Amino acid sequence: MNKVYVYDGTFLGLLTLIKYLLSNKIKPYNIVTFDYQENLFLEVINLHLKVSDKISGLFYNTFDKVTMKRIYYVFLSKEKNKEIIIYYYLLNYLKYGDSLSGMCNLKCVSKVLEINKKVGNEAHKLKGFVRFKELKQNILYAEINPDNDVLEIISKHFKKRLKNEYWVIKDVSRNIVSIYDKKDFYLALGEDVKIIQDLSDREEEFSKMWQDFYKIVAIKERKNEKCRRNFMPKKYWPYLLEVRDEL
Amino acid sequence: MFDLLKEMRYNNYGESKMELREKLIILADSAKYDASCSSSGSQRQGDFGNAHMAGICHSFSADGRCISLLKILLTNACIFDCKYCLNRKSNNIKRAMFTPEEICTITINFYKRNYIEGLFLSSGIIKSPDYTMELLIKTMELLRYKYHFGGYIHVKAIPGASEYNLQRLGKLVDRMSANIELPTESGLKLLAPDKNSDKVEKIMNYVKNKKSQNFVPAGQSTQMIIGASKESDLDIMQKSENMYHNYNLKRVFYSAYIPVNQDKNLPSLLTPPLKRENRLYQTDWLLRYYGFKVSDILDENNPNLNILVDPKASWALKHLEEFPKEINKCTYKELLQVPGIGVTSAKRIMKSRKFFNLDFADLKKMGVVLKRAKYFITCNGRFSLNKDFLNSHFIETNLVLEDKSSIKEKNRQLELFHE
Repeated sequence: MNKVYVYDGTFLGLLTLIKYLLSNKIKPYNIVTFDYQENLFLEVINLHLKVSDKISGLFYNTFDKVTMKRIYYVFLSKEKNKEIIIYYYLLNYLKYGDSLSGMCNLKCVSKVLEINKKVGNEAHKLKGFVRFKELKQNILYAEINPDNDVLEIISKHFKKRLKNEYWVIKDVSRNIVSIYDKKDFYLALGEDVKIIQDLSDREEEFSKMWQDFYKIVAIKERKNEKCRRNFMPKKYWPYLLEVRDEL
Repeated sequence: MFDLLKEMRYNNYGESKMELREKLIILADSAKYDASCSSSGSQRQGDFGNAHMAGICHSFSADGRCISLLKILLTNACIFDCKYCLNRKSNNIKRAMFTPEEICTITINFYKRNYIEGLFLSSGIIKSPDYTMELLIKTMELLRYKYHFGGYIHVKAIPGASEYNLQRLGKLVDRMSANIELPTESGLKLLAPDKNSDKVEKIMNYVKNKKSQNFVPAGQSTQMIIGASKESDLDIMQKSENMYHNYNLKRVFYSAYIPVNQDKNLPSLLTPPLKRENRLYQTDWLLRYYGFKVSDILDENNPNLNILVDPKASWALKHLEEFPKEINKCTYKELLQVPGIGVTSAKRIMKSRKFFNLDFADLKKMGVVLKRAKYFITCNGRFSLNKDFLNSHFIETNLVLEDKSSIKEKNRQLELFHE
């Protein structure tokens, strides 16, 4: 019977399980989180492994930094079978070492590179597409709705960029909030954070000016809707004040 | 028009009763024809804001162009009368001028809300080049020293400014550049009688010699207007090649001429020459990343690019005897010569073929555009097509048919025509 292994949905939990599987030479049929779909033909195994912080140090000793970043990006992706892709990538890394990333004829390698590109692209796009509103008490607040779980990646970016501002970014569909207190950012569950959305005095003035600017910079003789949507897909528009009205 | 300027007391840092919002509309409208928008190449870190090495696009306007910087003029008043320019002094348009403090207010507030990556500031010339430079310097000093702004700043230096002021301005910004506008001196004489290329190239030369971590760290770029004068693509690309070589330019931007003015010396175009602009950019890429020279692509007998086929494919069609290239054996340079293979896919091929022999299916995974590349390559000695068809006429016809974008472009230009 095909064996499916369960982990707790966290990155460390996944690493803990993969370490167990690799050291016991077990090839899983799939790796899933708690909320898996029951299936008569699959045997579901929950090992209840103890998860400790030490596990990540152990992985960094065995795998290089680039590999760790790659599998972390896969973990953040919306890919359905990301856990088993990570498992096979690491299994093959143990066999081939650093040259693995050049072997795109292996499915797990081309998959990992492809997913990395997607997650990296979305994170990069969002570094530009986040729109803050200034609330009373000088708090900047933004909402995003990305396909992949890139909140942490973009929080790192804004920690450097707006290091002397208070800001909050909310991932609407995952209901996670990133809060920055001028020292570091913290991820919290949406229901645990209450944000009073009173706008600062000049917020409306500047948001209007930005919408004016956006309209005026377009050269009408060069109108190119396809090109605009290619670079700025419509799924991001509800959160971009300059194009929201065009939806 | 000068009454209007007086009314605005433009010589007193532009203080006036005009609303900030109205000024922004006028001065963004006047600045939008500059094609440059990149925000890459600097790693500045300030108390408020930083520059991102790769640059970041924050939005895309209805014309599909990236919006990265707050692109505005300090003032659209100008003592020059360049024929192609919306802001020339003989045009009867509404004039406005920001104070340096107003520019800071908009920049800081836009940046904070993550609308922009930084500021792109250019200006019409008022009173004298150095007087205008002083105002630009004043603005930058406020941004950097009073507001501790660490975001990206691209400033257009004013042709004719003193070296002293170039030095002061360059220390405050990430990119400082000047637009050459037209590739030949005769074109400039006809359309921009107050400008000359010596003044512009003096700035380029100065920036090239002084460039360092603390002086214009992101380097310089320039812009040429396409289709306002009679120059051929050969003239344009030779000028670019010279400037890349002489002044270490990061980029040359090509801007299809948009008829904003009527003048007997200007062509009357129905639509901007966008396809030509596109082909020039492709050629520019070939020079910078693919190891091509202008003389490989254009010469006195063929001074203009083929509008139907991209410049790399045109080159390949003229040199069919050098093809096909065997993907698993040819050099990196040869890979770059194949239509449909870009820098990224060429690097991937080089890396992967150490481990296994590549086949057509593998190439697809690596981002090679097979429908273009298939005429010019073999995998393990195998063609993907019948060899008998491989003559330049057959390939060219197919490339043109498969180039959907050129067909769409035509439709788009027709649409514009109907508007």
